[in-house]
Amino acid sequence: MDHLLDIFFRTVFIENLALAYFLGMCTFLAVSKEVKTAFGLGIAVIVVETLSVPLNSLIYNHLLRQGALAWLGLGDMDFSYLGLLSQIAVIAALVQVLEIMLHRFFPALYHSLGIFLPLITVNCAILGASLFMVQRDYNAIESVAYGLGAGFGWALAIVAMAGLREKMRYSDIPAGLQGLGIAFITAGLLSLGFMGVAGIKI
Amino acid sequence: MAKDSPIRALLTILVTAVVCSFFVSASVVLLRPIQLNNKLLERSGNVLALTGLLPAGREVSDDQLLDLFKSLDARVVDIDAVELDSEFDPYTFDARKASTNPEFSVPVPAAEDIASLGRRSSYETIYLVWKDDRLERVVLPIRGAGMWSMLYGYIALESDFNTIAGMMIYEQNETPGLGDQITKPHWQAKWVGKKLFDDTDEVLFRVAEGPVHAGASGAEYQVDALTGATITANAVTAMIKYWFGPNGYGPLLERMREQGVRKAADGAAQEG
Amino acid sequence: MSAQHPLTTPLIKENPLALRVLGLCPALAITNSMTSALVMSAALTVVLVISNSTVSLVRNLLPSSVRLIVQITVIASAVTVIDQFLKAFLPDTAARLSVYVALIITNCIVLGRAEGCAMKENVGTSILDALGNGAGYSMILVAVAFQRELVGKGSLMGYQVFDPVSQGGWFPENALVTLAPSAFFIIGVLVWVIRTWKRDQCEKPDFEPIPLPRREKR
Repeated sequence: MDHLLDIFFRTVFIENLALAYFLGMCTFLAVSKEVKTAFGLGIAVIVVETLSVPLNSLIYNHLLRQGALAWLGLGDMDFSYLGLLSQIAVIAALVQVLEIMLHRFFPALYHSLGIFLPLITVNCAILGASLFMVQRDYNAIESVAYGLGAGFGWALAIVAMAGLREKMRYSDIPAGLQGLGIAFITAGLLSLGFMGVAGIKI
Repeated sequence: MAKDSPIRALLTILVTAVVCSFFVSASVVLLRPIQLNNKLLERSGNVLALTGLLPAGREVSDDQLLDLFKSLDARVVDIDAVELDSEFDPYTFDARKASTNPEFSVPVPAAEDIASLGRRSSYETIYLVWKDDRLERVVLPIRGAGMWSMLYGYIALESDFNTIAGMMIYEQNETPGLGDQITKPHWQAKWVGKKLFDDTDEVLFRVAEGPVHAGASGAEYQVDALTGATITANAVTAMIKYWFGPNGYGPLLERMREQGVRKAADGAAQEG
Repeated sequence: MSAQHPLTTPLIKENPLALRVLGLCPALAITNSMTSALVMSAALTVVLVISNSTVSLVRNLLPSSVRLIVQITVIASAVTVIDQFLKAFLPDTAARLSVYVALIITNCIVLGRAEGCAMKENVGTSILDALGNGAGYSMILVAVAFQRELVGKGSLMGYQVFDPVSQGGWFPENALVTLAPSAFFIIGVLVWVIRTWKRDQCEKPDFEPIPLPRREKR
């Protein structure tokens, strides 16, 4: 349990996917103008991450990696190179299913998220979390902790960013820095802040 | 057939799948031998750097590197059973993969896990460097949790299994400019000649809190600190303490010291 | 209409990174070394060309229901192949790029150009567009990497240009610049420079201060 909590907290604060690894930046900068939208997107990201990382872990460990197909008598086969294709396919399918379910059961949320839900498919943070899971060899349970942490960390980052940008709405910013430029600099400072948490051991 | 009919859609998907699979599989199958060779070359370079066998100042070709590497006496040792040999082939055994396989690894109890390893493979590949019939050096792999992620490296010991002949870190993710000083040759050079154990076989080696003055007491067990990288430095100390303590190579080195090591003849290893 | 050549427009006028804010993730993460930046740019350009040309070739045959899936599959396959090539022939750089090569799949530029250009134009134009966008992206990436590696480590492409203090020289290595957040600052300033030059790219602020009535001279 300690190990799982360690993975969770590390991923949220120290190895934050948005601020330490810069994943999902396009959506991060585009959606972080208002806290409400950022919050909605954050929740969606948490759900997709928590579902996709363990799912990809199961597929990788039981179908793709070297020796995984031993139960079929094909212990020598190593299909790990199909990992990228299968991961993106799983994510795309998952988002599609989520979209359909939201449309049916939570239409208000579905409409407020609008275009952003399908955009989650190409959010680097989602694919990135699965890639890191493979790189670090997490099993299914660790993947749940990691997925939850990854989603939570990304959501935390985007909501914090949205809060900062909302505060800056009335600031007198030079014309060239307006919008994108100042967002970058703010993100840089936020990222620097998160680096200060490194080295903490749970 | 209408453009949007389901049959057309299915056909498109099938064709896409077949064509893409062909290209992907072809590239993987054709390039795999090259990739495996690269991995072997990298390992060769890392290990040979500590053996003293590489000619200084001269570039070594890939083939020469591999030949030198194959000439080393590589053994997959069993750490838990304190055996100098095991069933594994040193050129294909992957200790990193083994550490997640419950059959070949053991969990490290929290009280002993100063290097935050979680699990430790029971087998590791070590390299013995012989000169004529005398054992000159032994190169051992070490790893431990650094500040950001795992550190992986090798350490070379002289024939007394106590004096350090060199060390190197080949994989790390520490803070650039601060923690990553552990990869810089000028800091690694300070390790040469230092000792690990005292007479009671306790691991005294550590990275000091400041500069180490040559004549000070205990100086032979310490290396200079790293400015601004205390956490990384402590991680390195913990790594050494673990791997050369009773849960790592400690018992094996003790056995090698007491009973000596005999050169492997015709692939069959023997011990004195 | 002014010359909107597919090859040159993406360089400054419609730079995929500076204007459209696409493909940021690698720009921030791997630009602390020029070699990584160049390899990443080359990899992205190759994937762009493959994806754009393939999608353009079959654009009239694709049923709309599976359009996106086919595009993603083609892109993912191209990236897998490029990844294998990099691991085979440039293993050190591939290790440093780690997951960011695989993340080209989700790189907004690739999918964006496939949807935005390859689905509408012929193969020739699509390839030019791919090369143009690749070049525009590479320009920014290499510019940022140049600054970060030179100021951060005193080297360029691995060759030590300035003698660092840690090896007995004069150049104080700037660790902050080698760290990831600095990429945010550098790109922010780069965007500032580009938008000061091309005023039409500036964004309008959300709120304009109400102009106060002028005081009458008495």
